[in-house]
Amino acid sequence: MTERSTASRDRILRRLRSSLSGSQPPFRDSVEPDLPDPPMTVYPPSERLSLVESFGVNLSELSGSFELAHRERDVAERVAQKVAEWIPNGEHKTTEVLSWAPSELHVARLEQTLAELDVSLFVPDDLAELQVRDRAASLEVGITGVEAAFASTGSVVLTPAPGRSRAAALLPLHHLILVPLSRIYAEFEDWLQRLRQQGRLEALVRESGQIAFITGPSKSADIELNLTLGVHGPKVVHAIVFDDTQ
Amino acid sequence: MTVDPSAPYKTRVKQALADDKLHTALERATTRLSGKRALSVAAIDLGPLRDEARAIREHAIRRLPELLEQLEHNLIANGCQVHWAATAAEATDIVSAIAQQHGVRRAVKSKSMTTEEIRLNQALEGDGIEVVETDLGEYIIQLAGEPPSHITAPVVHKRAEDISELFQRELGMPPTTDPGEMCAAARRQLRGEFLAAELGISGCNFAVAETGTVCIVTNEGNGRMVTSLPQVYVAVMGIEKVVPRVEDAILLWQAVARSATGQDVTVYFSMSSGPRRRGHADGPEEMHVILLDNGRSRILERGYADALLCVRCGACLNACPVYREIGGHAYGDSAYSGPIGAVVTPLLADRPATARELPFASSLCGVCRDVCPVKIDLPRLLLDLRHDMIRLGTSTRSEKTAIRVYTGAAERPLRYQRLSRIARWFMQLMPRNGDGDVSKLPPPLSSWTRSRVFPRLAVPSFRELWRARRSRDTTSGDA
Repeated sequence: MTERSTASRDRILRRLRSSLSGSQPPFRDSVEPDLPDPPMTVYPPSERLSLVESFGVNLSELSGSFELAHRERDVAERVAQKVAEWIPNGEHKTTEVLSWAPSELHVARLEQTLAELDVSLFVPDDLAELQVRDRAASLEVGITGVEAAFASTGSVVLTPAPGRSRAAALLPLHHLILVPLSRIYAEFEDWLQRLRQQGRLEALVRESGQIAFITGPSKSADIELNLTLGVHGPKVVHAIVFDDTQ
Repeated sequence: MTVDPSAPYKTRVKQALADDKLHTALERATTRLSGKRALSVAAIDLGPLRDEARAIREHAIRRLPELLEQLEHNLIANGCQVHWAATAAEATDIVSAIAQQHGVRRAVKSKSMTTEEIRLNQALEGDGIEVVETDLGEYIIQLAGEPPSHITAPVVHKRAEDISELFQRELGMPPTTDPGEMCAAARRQLRGEFLAAELGISGCNFAVAETGTVCIVTNEGNGRMVTSLPQVYVAVMGIEKVVPRVEDAILLWQAVARSATGQDVTVYFSMSSGPRRRGHADGPEEMHVILLDNGRSRILERGYADALLCVRCGACLNACPVYREIGGHAYGDSAYSGPIGAVVTPLLADRPATARELPFASSLCGVCRDVCPVKIDLPRLLLDLRHDMIRLGTSTRSEKTAIRVYTGAAERPLRYQRLSRIARWFMQLMPRNGDGDVSKLPPPLSSWTRSRVFPRLAVPSFRELWRARRSRDTTSGDA
């Protein structure tokens, strides 16, 4: 910190302290409201739909889409199907997709099965390198897992880590999200509460550099409030939920 | 743009009212935004959400110094560099120095009202750095060379036709008014900018003290680009943006989304807690956070703590009958317009010349208070500001004279009666409209009738009626 910055720091804090300790209370209502206790749930509880259904319905309402793979070994097939649908590529030509490391996707034999189906995974290790960056930026599909998914809004939360690039959910036009059933929570608050109780919340937020909540495809309504998709991030977001609990 | 934000207040309002295109754009947008918000709040019980949001913000402002110290400590522990700026100039100097140190030629920005407030783009451009706004709306107005006219929907004053014309001229886009095609043209252009820029700049919606985290709310994904792709990332945050816990930021995010656009949540919510970690594939090598005062401590000092609760959702703009008629540019060359702008602009007061009349640009109807997700009593603040202005003697000479004349009469019953009799006689000589109200008065009173009618004085007057009634009652009592 420069000298000027330090001086400003002291001046600002001194000024705030003197205002707050003055005779005049800062707010008209001198009784301070209690800081609400978590969980602070925004949504009324919904028992009509299962978590998976709610997640899917809510994501679909926001221009995303979703499907359920009942068995883990179906996942790779469905991924390959989606990739072929988005990027028609002729017979026996391999399509490269930007991806998290297979070990981070929690689907057994994913990479091998995909290879048999002509899809190869590019897992970048350093996007600061120009060649890696150019290659990643040229790919049209990104595959990621999730830290958690939320039924009430159709959201997912991603936490970067080695083998889990931010770019995979950001650069390609299509984002394929692999969601293990065990990671779907009813609401943000359930997940937060659980992490808090386990004493892991602070570390998770701090250590991942940037955690990102994502709810459907990138969109804008800046032009006369007309909805347009894929402004900067993915235009197509598809979730494959699979049962990892068996 | 037909409204010149640096013109005097009355000129700005006149220009805005005369602009038919502006009206079309404003009506289309604010009606839809207000409607969407209404639908979204109808879906849940907003009462508890507003109470909780208010409690969190109020808790934070009451403990601002401690929370800022905690935030600073945790940001540094996370590997961030923290800078404090008392003024706009200090903040822009800090960014300039960071840019210079890294030989930055190109910077990308995600939408930030705080950086509009300190005129960061102008400062960096003065250093020869190319600054690109990447929020679609901000990008459009940057191409047009205009300031934003709304806190969350910066291009609300433009019709699709206007934007198409601009893209055809600036980006060589083929003629179309299809929003999807216009959006694709911008995506192509901006993707190159993201990959080439050495510096990413964002504002900050909330900062979490317990973890040292800067949170950004976006729908387009440009916030994630700006905070992930360039090698250096700088966040500029007003000191009032801090909240204690992770849960608080998540709750406020949902309150902002509902109030701003009627969404349950926005598409992206990024929580950045420092530079790229060891072994990670991407993220900035350096993260800087600038804590900006620029008048905020003075707002607290002057007793306007309520204004510091604001989460910049723009709901008060969409609901305000005045904003809906005149748009953001008529509020002058401040980053903040609408009811909240009318409060904070004169208090931040870097540009008092265009801000003086703003507290009066309100009918005090109270709808802004009703839609505010943190329950800021905006009409009360506007009244307090008017009161301060009178007390500090910043009102004009004619205002003072008018009030003196009125006080002189109102304090003496006989004089009041005599004067009102003269006034009544005088008013009868003036031109009137169909309702019998006076439509035109001679100077200096003409400044009243230029923009509104003067209500006709009652005949007979209240005093005459009262006297007649008293004598009647007395008579009947006698019988």
